[in-house]
Amino acid sequence: MSQTVKQGASPAAGHGTSHGMRPRHPVAGTLAVAGYVVMIVPILFVVATAFTAGSTLRFPPEGLSLKWFGEAVAYTPFVEAVVSSLELAVLATGLALLLGVPVTLAIHRGRIPGKGLLEGLFLSPLVVPELVVGLALYQQLMIGLHLDNFTTLLLGHTALLLPYAVRVTGASLALTDPALEEAARGLGASPLRAFVTVTLPMLRPGLISAGLLGFVTSFNNVPLSLLLQTRDFRTLPVTMLDYVQQSYDPMVAAASTLVLAATVVVAVIAERTVGFAKIFGGINR
Amino acid sequence: MTTPAAELVGVSQRFGGFTAVDAIDLQIPRGRLTTLLGPSGCGKTTTLRLLAGYSAPTSGRILIDGDDATRTPPEKRNLGMVFQSYALFPHLTVADNVAYGPKMRGVPAAERRRRADEALDLVGLAHLGDRKPKQLSGGQQQRVALARAIAIRPRLLLLDEPLSNLDARLRVQMRAEIRRIQSETGLTVVLVTHDQDEALELSDEMVLMRAGKIVQSGAPRDVFPAPADRFVAEFLGYENFLTLADGRQAAVRPEHLRIVSADAPAGEAVAFDAVVRDVAYRGVDLLVTLEATDPGGHAVRLLADHRADTATGPTPSAGDRVRLLAPEARLALLEPDPTPTEGIS
Repeated sequence: MSQTVKQGASPAAGHGTSHGMRPRHPVAGTLAVAGYVVMIVPILFVVATAFTAGSTLRFPPEGLSLKWFGEAVAYTPFVEAVVSSLELAVLATGLALLLGVPVTLAIHRGRIPGKGLLEGLFLSPLVVPELVVGLALYQQLMIGLHLDNFTTLLLGHTALLLPYAVRVTGASLALTDPALEEAARGLGASPLRAFVTVTLPMLRPGLISAGLLGFVTSFNNVPLSLLLQTRDFRTLPVTMLDYVQQSYDPMVAAASTLVLAATVVVAVIAERTVGFAKIFGGINR
Repeated sequence: MTTPAAELVGVSQRFGGFTAVDAIDLQIPRGRLTTLLGPSGCGKTTTLRLLAGYSAPTSGRILIDGDDATRTPPEKRNLGMVFQSYALFPHLTVADNVAYGPKMRGVPAAERRRRADEALDLVGLAHLGDRKPKQLSGGQQQRVALARAIAIRPRLLLLDEPLSNLDARLRVQMRAEIRRIQSETGLTVVLVTHDQDEALELSDEMVLMRAGKIVQSGAPRDVFPAPADRFVAEFLGYENFLTLADGRQAAVRPEHLRIVSADAPAGEAVAFDAVVRDVAYRGVDLLVTLEATDPGGHAVRLLADHRADTATGPTPSAGDRVRLLAPEARLALLEPDPTPTEGIS
């Protein structure tokens, strides 16, 4: 992740940081550090205020206490929203991969005309404003077809995650020798068996990174989830937004800190099992 | 006469407007080593892939063991293919790579293991079964690819430029290795190469291709001294092309041109006068560049090897007027070639 963040955080740094962690350019180095500071410091403020013993969202915290964490964990709307968010993120990620992988295979290995167009089509949700997508889904699926809001949200999130599934697994596939599948076929494997025993293992890092990216994107999404919410199904970000509008106590900070901690745990597991270089290596094709 | 191991009957392959293989007829003799030889783009690899079943011909039929296999998918052909990139499965150990084919055929685990060991033994890598392909050198990976193809007990062993990714010394070693494996297993082998030395050394039968067509085929001993046309001659390393007094075209190799003094008798050879333009020292011999008027009356530039220790006559130096002798037996008479310079790339 270090590489990805570095490039994302300091586009102005340019070639100065391309030689590793020790920048030779003082200006580029300073910009990189500034980038980190801008991204990380506000997060530290949130984490610090979560541990306050006081009752307002204020820095510096008044005393030290874990009571807001207790409150957050016991607050039913948050707990329900976490379950909803997880459910939605897991299902949408799974669906996006299930649809995205065959599309990737078709784009990279298939003999179909208009591959570029197909790829463009599947990357388009990155470009179309999510509010527009959300409104369209609201009008067509919820009002028009009377689908319930969970189904609609699931479809919306799946569409949102498809570009990641197609792009990231595609990068993985592009690095794989097409002769591998042919070799498997020649050795007696049916097309399906060749896919399962050879192609799929090659795609593993791509699938994991697409899955992680997809999960995080779905879990953090606000525009779609906001437009397609109902009283009985709300995701965590929407619930937290709702809460902040009404009361300004540190419970939201505690909830955010918990989400952050969970993300860090996931990241550490991913780094230990597959390694970031391998997971995200595919993106910077 | 036995059925050929494989046969292509009027096979063409077109990709859009490009004809990669143009109505070829080819028989692969059983238990022999056949090479498909030609410059890049001549259709040799396409022919091999058609044989393996990785693409279907636009027209024509492919027979394997006398049975029509034109539309048979690769997994049902039972042919062992070695890819130019080796295409070893990076996530499997060497032993599992070799056992992959038997596994797909439902061979029980113990028997698979035994077959993998046997195949690895044949290529001299029995001790490396637990490694991953990445941990092996290029030459070792190549042997694993061979073992993997042999482990399925294939009807044909297909090799696509198997030696092109190896360094020069290893390449020569592996030629002998491929010959040994072929004679030990008795397999029918089809090998694609662009290297004429490789083809000459390895082949029982060599098939020269150009622009999707077969231009000449036969045993190396028959093809090499008698190239059919200028394209084949150039490809086999003939450097000198002459028009004879009767108008026929002939090719002669630099080592068969003798440089003698301008007044020496011609004897049995075709003789003509020449001027030495350049002499390059090469250790065992001198490479002499000459300008001459050939017996047909055309000005030509010629190359001759001159061995200072064995050849009679003067040691040539630039500017000398000499006589060139080309023994009749060493002249390869060529078919008139409609497009003399195209094809070499």
